[in-house]
Amino acid sequence: MEQSKKIANRNSIIFALIYGATYLPAVWLLKHRVFGQPISIIIAIVPIIAFSIFILKLIKAFSVMDEVKQRVQLEAVVIGFSLTAMLVMILFLLSLCDISNPGWFGYANLLGYCWLFYFVGWFISKKKYGI
Amino acid sequence: MKNTIKVERAKKNWTQEDLARQIGISRQSINSIETGKFIPSTVLALKMAEVFGVTVESIFQLEKQD
Repeated sequence: MEQSKKIANRNSIIFALIYGATYLPAVWLLKHRVFGQPISIIIAIVPIIAFSIFILKLIKAFSVMDEVKQRVQLEAVVIGFSLTAMLVMILFLLSLCDISNPGWFGYANLLGYCWLFYFVGWFISKKKYGI
Repeated sequence: MKNTIKVERAKKNWTQEDLARQIGISRQSINSIETGKFIPSTVLALKMAEVFGVTVESIFQLEKQD
């Protein structure tokens, strides 16, 4: 049991790293190099596949966590999701007032904020349960 | 809810790590339960009672505000 927990945790970390290692070069290539549309789509799909596998590994790791750690993760996701939803709503409402700043709040930035909010939630929850 | 996990551990001379290993959770989780920050599930409470050789009610007791 302990061994399977370690393997599941390790796998999720490995695929998070693989995702990071494919996402950043893919963004760089798509921004700074000019490819035909089929090649661009293939480059864009690689990090999506890596992220999909990462999600599966993360769910597997979640299922073998003990109940305190599961609660911490659950609260982190709830806080992260709520803050992201609030940010998107604020940006939408501001856009209706013709106020927008794509330099700070583009799709790529939103992805970063989403992860930031998850880690904020994780930190709060870890402090709450003292782990 | 209060608990007597620390007392039961002391009786057996177990560390949090020892108890965690016996019931298959992490040491940090034991600490969280022992300090009352997390209320364990029935299954976990029963596992604890089993390894201590006592009843669940003797480990976990309701307080007035519960």
